[in-house]
This record gives sequence, structure tokens and C-alpha cells, in this order.
Amino acid sequence: MSNLLIEIQEAVINGQQAKVDELTQAALDSGITPQAILNEGLIPAMSTVGEKFQKGEFFISEMMIGARAMYAGLNIIKPLLAGQNAATKGKAVIGTVQGDLHDIGKNLVCMMMEGGGYEIVDIGINVSPENFVQAIKEHSPDFVLMSALLTTTMEVMGKTIKVIADSGLRESVFIGVGGAPVTQKFADSIGADFFSPDAGDAVSKANVLLVAK
Amino acid sequence: MSMTPRERVLTALNRGVPDQVPWVENDIEEALQVQIMGTANFTPPELCEKLGLSAFGAHYPMGQASDGQAMQTKETYKESYYYPKKVTFDFVPPWIAKMGADQDTGRTYIEKGLLVSEESLALFDEFLPDPHHPARYEKVAEWIKQYKGDYAVFARIRLGASSTLESMGLDEFSYATVDNPELIKKIHLRFSEWSAQVVDHLNEMDFDFFWCNDDLAGNHGPFMSPKIFRECFLPNMRIVAERIKKPWIFHSDGNLFPIMEDLLSLGMTAIHPLQPAAMDIGKMKKEYGHRVCIVGNIDLDYTLPLGTEEEVDAEVRNRILTAGPGGGYIISSANSLTDYCKVENVWAMSNAIKKYGKYPLEG
Repeated sequence: MSNLLIEIQEAVINGQQAKVDELTQAALDSGITPQAILNEGLIPAMSTVGEKFQKGEFFISEMMIGARAMYAGLNIIKPLLAGQNAATKGKAVIGTVQGDLHDIGKNLVCMMMEGGGYEIVDIGINVSPENFVQAIKEHSPDFVLMSALLTTTMEVMGKTIKVIADSGLRESVFIGVGGAPVTQKFADSIGADFFSPDAGDAVSKANVLLVAK
Repeated sequence: MSMTPRERVLTALNRGVPDQVPWVENDIEEALQVQIMGTANFTPPELCEKLGLSAFGAHYPMGQASDGQAMQTKETYKESYYYPKKVTFDFVPPWIAKMGADQDTGRTYIEKGLLVSEESLALFDEFLPDPHHPARYEKVAEWIKQYKGDYAVFARIRLGASSTLESMGLDEFSYATVDNPELIKKIHLRFSEWSAQVVDHLNEMDFDFFWCNDDLAGNHGPFMSPKIFRECFLPNMRIVAERIKKPWIFHSDGNLFPIMEDLLSLGMTAIHPLQPAAMDIGKMKKEYGHRVCIVGNIDLDYTLPLGTEEEVDAEVRNRILTAGPGGGYIISSANSLTDYCKVENVWAMSNAIKKYGKYPLEG
């Protein structure tokens, strides 16, 4: 692998936004493809950031800085990747469920998923079940990811899954749930396909499900 | 020998063995207070008496429409701070943030922190009330005199950590840890200096303890690395901590174990709320119970809002048997009693504490 790609990885992990910007440009100038920069530079770097978070070596602020550095590279190569089918692994619609106005967890998942090679459609906070359905129809995602911080709004996840099923769209998507009060037991009880305790884990689980698809 | 509620709380805070495990809540949302009392017209000690709580603080509807949790920052903040319309014992600075409100529930939330640059520091003068303005202290002193009786009374304050995080926003804060750590320190310092001046006044009042609410962690761990915590937060938090002359409880949600030693260096009397999803109370008792009183751990993710009365009973018993031996434990929800707790579960908690909380404990 090119040294430049290794340097890009290191700069993302260290949260060095300007350096990632510089290195990405240098990599393109040296003839490295945008696809390689994504798959061999940015994605593995964010995967390492996620792993470090799960192991307790990184904290949320470091994950945020890593993501910002990743975007510095991604924003350069994105226009070059446009139109190439191989550019993303899959697509995810993501939102915080109705009644819940928190977005930090959701935003972290967006960053990590995008850094993991997925196309993200962020439909925001306080999203009604009907709007989730609408987004599925409009964007045909592989994943629907729901976030909730409150115990009360967590219940809305179950309702949203039911409305998606009633619309006949349940089989077309994998549904993942997360948020501080959410547990595996709860995810099972509402019929979600997976639960993630943190943003890095969401990427790993999505990867596994896509392979099995 | 039977103790008064105040003696019970102060004994437990001092890591002693009271006559029974005291129950104290950081906050009870007003809508739930009204449900418990069957009316909005009651006094803080009447609520304590009815539930079996040993202390009061926070805020009470007192015959008026109930409010949601106090997340205030409005143009009128200074006036409402100086001249509170309802009974309150809170002395917290406003979030310096753009606030939003849910149209259906009226619940407010932080849309965006406004302290994002050196220039934005000018907002402090606009938002922060005068910490020496006498009106609020005088009014609250009257309420303490009127209602205290045998109960312990607490003031809620902040050391500045959560004010800094919320007023910057977690994203801008994170970026500043590499771009401009000095900005974080400056912002924290302003909040901490404000709180320290407030504490000087509160020390002279008839409060029994302070409750310092400074959320800085999630289920995984603190929002920042221990290194950033030590550099940007701890020295400023210490400015307030060193001025406190009463027992005090430190509150932060989330997993505090990665920074526990740093936190304990602030010299708090107790740690709250030990969310079961984030912190193991058995580990806390074993490793730190000889150094600090433990407050909390009744689950607010499932048990109180969604569980059965039997599950509440079992959890209360378990927590008392885990953290109660040797004293130094105050039972409480793992944050506050929110308006989405089932009221029957609050009663189940009250009954279970009376059933299992008497010293000597069973077993």
C-alpha cells in the first residue's frame, strides 16, 4: 500500500484535518484513485477510530475530531466518486424518532457510517413513523437506523417498525436501533434487526448484515 | 434510635450508618409531583412526608401550572433568576445557547451552543445574572425558613463543566480540543468563577448540602479524554469545589470510572447517580465506598418508567443490600424522577425503601 494512504489513515486517526486535506490532494496528484483513498485510507482509519472508542482508548471528542478529519478527505474525493456504483457499500436512512429532539448520537452514527463507506440520508430529529416510511420509499435504503435518548421515545421505535411493516416495506430494509436507554433485549422485543451500543459498532453490524444479504 | 430526615441524610453523606437508608431525589418533574400529590398546591415538606424523602431542593409548582425540567435561557432569564415566581432552590447559570421547544410538549432543548469563538465570549455579560444580586438569596432564605423543619435542604449548583459543554456544543467543543483548547479553558473559567461567587453566598445560608450537576459523560465514558479533562476541566471545577463549605454531591450521568480518581481529588462528599447501564454499583461500593458516599442507581431506562412494581421492589432491595452495608448510601433514581416514570412505580420505590432500608439491614 502507498505510504500516502498509510499517512492518510494516521492523520484521520489523529484528527489532523488540514493534514488529511493535504495528503488526499497529494495522493490524487500521485495517481492514486479516489476509490483507493476511500477504501484503503479513510474507511480503515475510521474503523480504527471506532475500535479505539469501543476499547475505551478514545472518547467522543476524539471520535468527532477523527470524523472531521475524515470529511476533509471525503469532501475532496466525493465529486470524483460521483456516478461510480462502487463508491458506497450501501445506503442508510437515519433519524431520531418522534418526540425525541436529541441528535448527538445520531450525528455520530452518521459520521461513522459515512466514514465506513455508506451513503447516509439524515432525516433529522423528531421523525414520525410516517416520515421514516416516506424516506424508505424515496431513497430505497439498505438500512433504517433509529436513535432515541429517552425511555419514552424509545417506545416509538417499536411503533415505527410496525408502521414500516404495515406499509409492506419491512423486508426491504435492515433496521438498527441505538441510544442510551436501548438494549439488545429491547431491540429484540420490537423486532429490530440489530442493536448497537455505539457508533462504531453500528458500522461493524451493518457490514456483517450486508455480507449476509 | 430514630433519626430526623436531616440527621439521616447527613449521617449517610458522612459515610456513617443512619437508622435507615435515606431517599433523596435530585429533581422530581413537576407533572409527576402533581400526580403524586393529587394537586399542584402543596409544600416541599408535604411531598417529602408523603413519599418518605429525607431532603428537598430543586423546584415546586406550588399551586401553579407545572413546568418541565428547567432548561432555561431566555432574554428574560436575569429577571426570572433574581425574582423566581415559583419555589426553587436552584442556583445554576443559564445555558448560553439557542434553545428550541417541542411544539407538542413545550419541553425545551438546546438547539445550538453559542460559545464558539473568542468574540462570542461577550455573550457572558448578556446571559449571566449578577451573582451578588441579593433578591434570589433573600427569597430562597425565606422559603428555607418556612419549609425546612426536620428535612435536609439542598441547593443545586454547577462546577461549570456541563455549562461549558452545553454552551459550546459537543461538536464545537471537540474541535476546540485540538484547534483552541485555550477557548475551552476561558469559557469554563467564566462559568466556574460565577458559580464560586454564588457558592460564597450559599455557604452563609441554611442549606445542608449542595448538589453539583455537571453532566460530562455518556454510557461509554467521559465525553473527553482523561488528559483533556485534567487540562481543561479539573482546574476550573476545583475553583468552585474549594469554595464549598458544606457537604456536596457531584452529579454526572454516564460512566465516570475512567476519571474517578481525578474527580475524587475535588473532595466531594458523594457521587450520583450511577446509571446501571454505565456504572456497576457493586464495583463502586467496593473500590470507592470507603472514600465517598454513593447516591442513586435505581434504573431510569427501564425499571421506573417501564418495569413492574415487583421489579422496582426487587431492584430497591438489591441496591440496598449491595450499597447499604456499612452506611454511606443514599438511595435515589439514576438521575431524577421524570414525568415518564410510572407513578405506581414511584410508590413501589417508596414502600420498598421503607421495607428493606432499616438498619441493621437483612442478611
